[in-house]
Amino acid sequence: MRLKYLYITILSVLLLSTTVALQANKVGGTYELLSTQNSYTAGDVIELQFSFTGNTDVYLYCSNSYGSVVLNPDVNNSKLRFSIPQSISKKSGVLNWQLISDKTELKGQVNILPKASIKTIESYLGPPSIEAGGTDFTMLVVIPTDDLDNPLIDSTIVAIKHQFLSNQEASDVYTEHGFAYKNIYSENKSGRILISSESLNLNSKEYDVNVVPAIPTNFEINAERIHDYADGNQITTFKTNIIKDRYDNIVSDGTYVTFFITNKDGYKSKTSGATINGIATAILLQPDHEDQWSVKAYVEGMANSNTIVLNYKQAVEDFEVAFSEDKRTIIIGPLKSFMNQRVPDGLRVQLSIYKNGFLENESIESSFNGIAKFHLSPDRFPKGTYKLVLKAAGITKTYTEVRYE
Amino acid sequence: MSKANKNILRSLLLLSYVVIIALVIYGFGALYSYLNTGADRSKMLHTEVKQVDQYLPELEWAPLTNEGRVIDEQTLTAIENDYLDAWYVKYVALKTNTKKGLDDYYTDNAVENIYSIISINSENKTTLEATTLEHHPNLEFFSEDGQLAVLTDHDVIEFKRIFNGETLITEVTEKSSYKVTLLLEDGFWRIRHLVKIKSEPYVVENPKEPIKISDIKGINYYPQANPWDMFGDAFDADVIASDFELIKNSGLNSIRVFVPYESFGKSNVDKDKLQQLTTLLELAETANLKVMVTLFDFYGDYSVLDWTLTQRHAKTIVNALKNHSALSSWDIKNEPNLDFESRGEALVTAWLDKMVDFVKSQDPNHPITVGWSNSESSTILKEKLDFVSFHYYEDLDQLAETYKTLKTQITDKPIVISEFGMSSYSGFWNPFGNSEDSQTDYHKTIQSIFSQNDISFMSWTLYDFTEIPKEVVGRLPWRQNAQKHFGFINKDGAKKGAFEYISKQ
Repeated sequence: MRLKYLYITILSVLLLSTTVALQANKVGGTYELLSTQNSYTAGDVIELQFSFTGNTDVYLYCSNSYGSVVLNPDVNNSKLRFSIPQSISKKSGVLNWQLISDKTELKGQVNILPKASIKTIESYLGPPSIEAGGTDFTMLVVIPTDDLDNPLIDSTIVAIKHQFLSNQEASDVYTEHGFAYKNIYSENKSGRILISSESLNLNSKEYDVNVVPAIPTNFEINAERIHDYADGNQITTFKTNIIKDRYDNIVSDGTYVTFFITNKDGYKSKTSGATINGIATAILLQPDHEDQWSVKAYVEGMANSNTIVLNYKQAVEDFEVAFSEDKRTIIIGPLKSFMNQRVPDGLRVQLSIYKNGFLENESIESSFNGIAKFHLSPDRFPKGTYKLVLKAAGITKTYTEVRYE
Repeated sequence: MSKANKNILRSLLLLSYVVIIALVIYGFGALYSYLNTGADRSKMLHTEVKQVDQYLPELEWAPLTNEGRVIDEQTLTAIENDYLDAWYVKYVALKTNTKKGLDDYYTDNAVENIYSIISINSENKTTLEATTLEHHPNLEFFSEDGQLAVLTDHDVIEFKRIFNGETLITEVTEKSSYKVTLLLEDGFWRIRHLVKIKSEPYVVENPKEPIKISDIKGINYYPQANPWDMFGDAFDADVIASDFELIKNSGLNSIRVFVPYESFGKSNVDKDKLQQLTTLLELAETANLKVMVTLFDFYGDYSVLDWTLTQRHAKTIVNALKNHSALSSWDIKNEPNLDFESRGEALVTAWLDKMVDFVKSQDPNHPITVGWSNSESSTILKEKLDFVSFHYYEDLDQLAETYKTLKTQITDKPIVISEFGMSSYSGFWNPFGNSEDSQTDYHKTIQSIFSQNDISFMSWTLYDFTEIPKEVVGRLPWRQNAQKHFGFINKDGAKKGAFEYISKQ
């Protein structure tokens, strides 16, 4: 029994003493920063050294621009050494650290500067095309960076150069917030500006910006045709003169021009074309009867042309109409054009059939070899009296009392 | 072979059959669901990315005076969203040491820097639970073609909990400033360069002079018909008005009410419920009662990446009520020490600490407390709070002693007992429970202790209830039934004996 008490006493003393020893170990740590350097260049080997007494069970928290890590020390000769990993020390900016131990709260920071040498010039250029005239501009933004992808320190000089026609300019700008920029304005001429930049003897590659012409100014139009007869066969070609902007630049190819044609009855047609070398061309089939066209062209919302007037002479003076014996086959023609030649195939002939004053049917035939032919079937048009109206080339012929048996 | 062995064999055969069938079904299921995943045309353009609030730190743009192109509000919002998401995905990555989502918010060159940090951390088994709480960006530059933006984010408040394996090794709060270059690439504003230009430890000074509170003689209030669920469809202003009249006439001057976090809409506070809360304050003002508003009821997440959402919740509610004259004080959370076990004391305390600072920053004029569930916890954060409050459901013999001990630990701030009471339930589930008479004695005694020691108090509660939601005390019937009988007025509306001692001995 006695032994048992003794045993318990010894055990508990042992236990107590180890706890005390452990605690002593815990509170014993004191740490002091030995490293004095607090400014580094990116990529430098950064090592934080601490003198210490007592506990080596410590960590170093450190945090750079992109994130935080926790490091374990190398212990030797009563020194704690923390080497900051390369991937942390290579980024510029503030690196703050904190020594994590049970007691002391040592913290501090080092400043990592970007390297002084340049590796790349990141360039961002936009917009890629601008308008001539000196008000529109493109912007070049450059970020000079070192070989560890850090933007160089502010106030780094960057020369931004550009060439346009015979002008060549260079201007110096200084980086701020890590970048530099310059607005490059267009001149009165259209064309292409070449842009490059240079910093610390490193030249960027060549960038280009298209200077497109400004909006078109008013222009003239004219018409070309093989003859002025309204034969419904030839085409009239409309053309603009060279459309230019107000700085005398030929407008961009593909500028869309719409020609509006008003005939003498006031009906409007339109045709359109896109410019090539400033000239837009559009075509329209000539009328098949005497008419007068007035034509005006527009670049919608921007410019318009003068109005031109075109007269078309009657080509088919008259035509003959022949009925078969039962009057159910009607032959029109031969249709003769201005030189008494047979009209080219495809002249439109229209037959309207009325009964008791009401339109029964309307059918259209195209001429072939100068002849157009209609056949009125007895099933469709039974016995009775009809009025037939024939129209071709603007000429109308009416047969009021056509009797079918 | 014995019969038993045969049976074992049979059952094994049967079992293996069941297992094989289950595996076959699982296999087909997995194949089927695999064939149903993959390239979905609607996902190609990121059009389906759902806008869920997951990260809402306080962010305030400096007035726009940027160089370059004038920025429109829509672009600024796009930059803001992507920039904050960049922080969020980074912290998710550093928490889990995975790379998922990072390349959406950092350019190819920039993301390498985070990848290398992740690889160092996963090697050292370091993980970070971190968030930013405030951003003050200033747009420095927006390029003419709208593809590049440079901003300086001043005084970013970063909070980090750093773990080695499972062990929390430290908590850090820093105030840093960053220069950020962003590029618009395939619809995302991505971080191209990020340079920390300034950093310092961030400490919010504790208030030198705590805001005074007047003597509180109060009661925790829920309406009889809908306890723990007073806002929403069940909100009845007439009932509340007559209850307040009753409370006022019984000699009390304060009430304590609870704002449930989730049912109030979390970070996106329900406007109707907030209006009801304002109505409640107006009714209290009519009855000449002061209201202690307890925030974050039933909140239990605390995870660091959730903090910004709780901030937004608090911001909306505090700003809606802070100018109301019926408001007496803010109780940040009811009995948060009960979450110590499941969420960790350090985490819960850190959240409370930051939330007290935040509510203080939004409303510097009303005193702040935390409703600890016992006196032992109530010294936590005592330097930060304007007054200390705890709940007392223990033996009355110890109360005076407990209070005096606490007074020696907290010398410069008022101490309020913001919950106490006794259930008068004795019945099938607790045959040896307390009767209404012992409840009366309890309140008589405690009131005399209060007046002898000049203690501010708020009792639990006005009414006996018929329904207790399971979130309050669980489903166990003896707990449920006890919770139903803490009131001064029974379920038929008659005053119990204890009512006489509701405000005085």
